[in-house]
Amino acid sequence: MNDDDTLLVGAVAYTANVVPIWEGIKEYFADSDTPMDFVLYSNYERQVEELLAGHIDLAWNTNVAWVRTLRRTNGTARAVAMRDTDLTFRTLFIGRQGTGRLSLSDFGGRRIALGSRDSGQARILPVHFLTEAGIGADDAEWVIFDSDVGKHGDTGTSDLDALRAVLADDADVAAVGVNTWQAMTAGGEDLVADLEVVWESEDYNHCNFTALEGLDEDRVERWVQHLLAMDWENPEHRHILELEGLREWKRPELEGYRSLHEAMESQGIADGW
Amino acid sequence: MSALILRLVEQVGATPAGSVTEVALDGPDDLASVARWCEATGNEVLTVLPDAVEIHRGRIADPLASLPPERRPGHRLWVYTNFHCNLACDYCCVESSPTAAPRVLSTAELSRLLEAAVASGVEELYITGGEPFMLIDMDERLRLATSLLPTTVLTNAMLFRGERLRRLEALPRDNLTLQISLDSATPGLHDRHRGSGSFERALDGIRCALDLGFRVRVAATLGEDAGDTETELERLFSDLGLDDDQRVVRRVARQGAANSGLTVSRTSLVPEVCVTAEGVWWHPVAAIDPAMKVADHWAPFDEVLDSVREEYRRHRIRGDVLASTFPCA
Ligand code: SF4
Repeated sequence: MNDDDTLLVGAVAYTANVVPIWEGIKEYFADSDTPMDFVLYSNYERQVEELLAGHIDLAWNTNVAWVRTLRRTNGTARAVAMRDTDLTFRTLFIGRQGTGRLSLSDFGGRRIALGSRDSGQARILPVHFLTEAGIGADDAEWVIFDSDVGKHGDTGTSDLDALRAVLADDADVAAVGVNTWQAMTAGGEDLVADLEVVWESEDYNHCNFTALEGLDEDRVERWVQHLLAMDWENPEHRHILELEGLREWKRPELEGYRSLHEAMESQGIADGW
Repeated sequence: MSALILRLVEQVGATPAGSVTEVALDGPDDLASVARWCEATGNEVLTVLPDAVEIHRGRIADPLASLPPERRPGHRLWVYTNFHCNLACDYCCVESSPTAAPRVLSTAELSRLLEAAVASGVEELYITGGEPFMLIDMDERLRLATSLLPTTVLTNAMLFRGERLRRLEALPRDNLTLQISLDSATPGLHDRHRGSGSFERALDGIRCALDLGFRVRVAATLGEDAGDTETELERLFSDLGLDDDQRVVRRVARQGAANSGLTVSRTSLVPEVCVTAEGVWWHPVAAIDPAMKVADHWAPFDEVLDSVREEYRRHRIRGDVLASTFPCA
């Protein structure tokens, strides 16, 4: 399958809609001089192993999978493209209406609902932000939802579980990815009037296409250029862009991964399973 | 309220594009919130149930857009000017015969209907019956119709004599097609279903219309006993000098007097709006079937047309969703 001309891209099947997304992207590349095919994995750990083993050329990685790949390759792996939305990802803490804006130091003594242990946005980074502000595990009550482990928070299930805990008064605040909150408030903030944002992180980076050092740079560059040419105004492209949650593909900017590097280091999160 | 939104995000998010999920409602007020959320997120409310809604993941493409323009409801209008006929074919889909109640649509009524139809974008008219030329003043209706729209009149061509022939000769040739029924290349099969001697007279009628310079299309209706008729008919059509677009071969529908044939329904037929003196029907093949009646009167025409389009959309979307839910069927 992986002949000279076809780039093989790995992705994780966190919903059935991953199939039409990648079928659409594959079709978009079919007419280019860098055709591609894709392989779907059930979890990011398997995908990283497969990339390292050379079974795929590119991996569509979460931020956690990217950091792991970078560590496993002594920093030689390359990020080659990402979504516009991957440059402005954030973690939000959501509380019941009337909680008001909080600073992280106010979180002491509260019940904090957190998502899956492999979710950058719902667990690893919020714990990091809190710890940096002096709120450790002993200073607050952590209410943990380890749902959909292996998907690195992509399904959003643990975000929603955490929010349900807030609504049921089993927690005071819930950590969620900004994408979850945007999906909830898409029809207007008044539709979720019993909840409110109480704290918001700085922007950080989320997913990227990751390649190993040995992959032909010219070939990847031609592939990336064709990827960047996808156009929101073109209805066929737009259908794929909407499903994948972006308006525009971008060149990577790696500064936004710094906080996650630090978080995984300080929390001692393993490089693999 | 937030609990509802959490359910929406979770359930719709996990639903494959093009599939449907049923989301429970906590009360009637939830419906407006669901509609707003779906609109903003590119999903669609498909059906409202007593305590729940069915939501289609992703936008639903308009089924009308996938039809060729000439097949979209509202492009073509069918009109039954009358129901009586000089024949009593055993497969007649509206049970016409010499003794059938005529149910005549007057020229004045036709004039009002066509004015409304043209204003609503109708581009093509088919006049049928019964036998339209049973009405001695059929020429007036055809003159009116052809002044407004390309018109086809369906006829058995057996009445082109005397006063009727004189009136036919005087009709304009532009914008008019005579669609004449002929079911076989020799008398046997045709006469078996349409009456003894009808084949020769129909053939005479076809030659008469061609000689008068009318545009003629010959249509055959074939039942289960058709055998090799289709091949023989094609040969006869060629002998008559008919081009491919002057030939129609179709199967008997199980309607009216026909007790065998294809079963039709509002869900199985793309609608072709059909007006009779008794109301509006889904399709001309079923213009006396109560289940296929759309409205008691054609006015206001644009509203009747919209209701047909909307019903067709619903059937198609429902059909597409079922097809994607039960791919093994
Ligand atoms: S099929 Fe046509 S010709 Fe025969 S009875 Fe019906 S209307 Fe008359």
